[in-house]
Amino acid sequence: MDVLSNLLNGFQTALTFKNVYLCFIGCLWGTVVGVLPGIGPLAGITLLIPATFGMDATGAIIMLAGIYYGAMYGGSTTSILMNIPGESASVVTCIDGYQMARKGRGGAALFIAAWGSWIGGTLSIIGLMFLAPSLANFAVKFGPPEMFALLLIAFILLGSLGKGSFFKTVPMILFGLLVGTIGMDPLTGTMRFTHGIKDLYDGIGFIPVAMGAFGIGEILTSTEESLVRFVGKVKMRELLPNRDELRASWAPIFRGTGLGFLIGLLPGSAHVLSSFVSYTLEKRLSKKPEEFGTGRIEGVAGPETANNAASESAMIPFLGLGIPTGPAPAVMMIALLIHGVRPGPLFISEQPQVFWGLIASMYIGNLILIILNLPLVGLFVNLLRVPFRILFPVILLICLVGTYSVNSSVVELGILLFFGVLGYIFRKLDFDIAPFILAMIIGPTLEMSFRQSLMRSAGSFSIFLKSPIACTLIVMSCLLFLWNIFRAVRPKKAWEKALEEGE
Amino acid sequence: MTKERGGSLIFLAAGIYGLVFSVQLPLGKWNQPGPAVFPLSLSILLCLFGMGWFIRGKGAGKKQGSVRLRGFVQKFMTPIRIVGLTAAFILTFEFLGYLLASTIYLFILFLWVSRYRLWAALALAIAFGAGSWLFFEKLLATPLPRGFLS
Repeated sequence: MDVLSNLLNGFQTALTFKNVYLCFIGCLWGTVVGVLPGIGPLAGITLLIPATFGMDATGAIIMLAGIYYGAMYGGSTTSILMNIPGESASVVTCIDGYQMARKGRGGAALFIAAWGSWIGGTLSIIGLMFLAPSLANFAVKFGPPEMFALLLIAFILLGSLGKGSFFKTVPMILFGLLVGTIGMDPLTGTMRFTHGIKDLYDGIGFIPVAMGAFGIGEILTSTEESLVRFVGKVKMRELLPNRDELRASWAPIFRGTGLGFLIGLLPGSAHVLSSFVSYTLEKRLSKKPEEFGTGRIEGVAGPETANNAASESAMIPFLGLGIPTGPAPAVMMIALLIHGVRPGPLFISEQPQVFWGLIASMYIGNLILIILNLPLVGLFVNLLRVPFRILFPVILLICLVGTYSVNSSVVELGILLFFGVLGYIFRKLDFDIAPFILAMIIGPTLEMSFRQSLMRSAGSFSIFLKSPIACTLIVMSCLLFLWNIFRAVRPKKAWEKALEEGE
Repeated sequence: MTKERGGSLIFLAAGIYGLVFSVQLPLGKWNQPGPAVFPLSLSILLCLFGMGWFIRGKGAGKKQGSVRLRGFVQKFMTPIRIVGLTAAFILTFEFLGYLLASTIYLFILFLWVSRYRLWAALALAIAFGAGSWLFFEKLLATPLPRGFLS
């Protein structure tokens, strides 16, 4: 009953004209960035952060979350109709979705993708609604040792489940943690790595780093190839799936929901991982696995549902524990911090209108998205006709103005460009930039909890073993670390290679 | 140079930078850890990972794609141009003011990188430069520099 009454209050917040409008703008922009290759959900969110400065925290998070899950819907459109994944989670949808479009069943594939996304998204929100408050209530008991142990296991999980090998992700995490130490030490007031630059006293800004690494980095990567993109005409023959297609897609949709929900709780590129695992699962369960790749509806329904369910359940550790499990929740966390709201165990009890307003807005957003992505799909496909050579200078300019508008600092513009180039180089070298950003954001909490624990125990490391929660988490971290070493040494399986290639 | 070695050089550079500057900070004691403990540990680990990837990268060149510096500059001319122009924009942004700096920046990008004709590039630059100024300055009330013209 408590959940229901809170949800009703949430709907009161979300259903105001202003918040419905912001939710619509978020979903619309999310669909646009999902459709357009070269601008992912991360760049889409970071670009609009400066626009949230004049809003309250509820409106800001409603709009930014709309972009995140909206991009998951939009990403399927170009995958199915043009064999171009709008964002990384939609790579798998290209395989069977595009083959369906070639057979004249593109409309049906789009319908099933949108329908599956809606079911996966909505069921995942129900899980989020019940699980996040319980998790937060449990985490309220956490002191510095427990928080340190929790963040430690989160980093090791991030290393295990991120793109590429564990030993490629770990140095990125260490690098991010090191960058996170720049600025004034909160315990002693000592300046670290600031070199007398006043703009660095409060630490390096998250916005220029995230916008540079994701926004500028992505643009630089996209402009490497030809700036002229040809787009063929799209005929929407039949939007409604036939009875066989509907029957075949039910089970993959529900399996994709469960799978996506669970994978979304883990750190890493959950939405990408969930779509690959769902595709592999559907192929394994199919009576005709050899037909996968020739236009099977199950190959669209499962992965599209899974990536939407994962994107919604990724909000549970982010809102309940204050641990963003992926780069998109991390960027949303930056936005909330700018508005003076810190996600974590106390977030739901201290900011109920923000949390429940967001939950309610997600139900509304999923409805808006199904309307945007079915009858209006032709409109979004036309976006691909806007030449990229016009789009990219405008996006660059928005990144620059967006960063400048935060603190009116030219130093931050320099940081933006530096991390843009660094993000681009890391992409070229096949190192994942997301763990770097996550580590930079969570790093200060990890350091603080470690030092506070030692101060509390007068320098004894036994404090980490005295607490049952911290001890369990540290033992699990050690086991996971050893398992990762074993995994790195043994030869890779076929599906692991396929997942790496897809990423 | 292999991709692994390229990455290892960045990690080594970051680790050495961290080491050099964190040893100058107070280390503290176990019961009162100082501000150097965390960055120093991270820098040492980064150096170790950097060295590990450097050694491992030697054998990976045959299996995986390698990056050659000369080819890199030729192939990636467009990103290099964009970075150079953006750096120039950042340096002149406050002196020229947003409206003028953004219009010039967009004009050069449309002309030199996007390869539009002179008049098309100029028209697009004025339209987007002025449009973005109106959007940010007037609609979102973002304080933007007005430059020497003011």
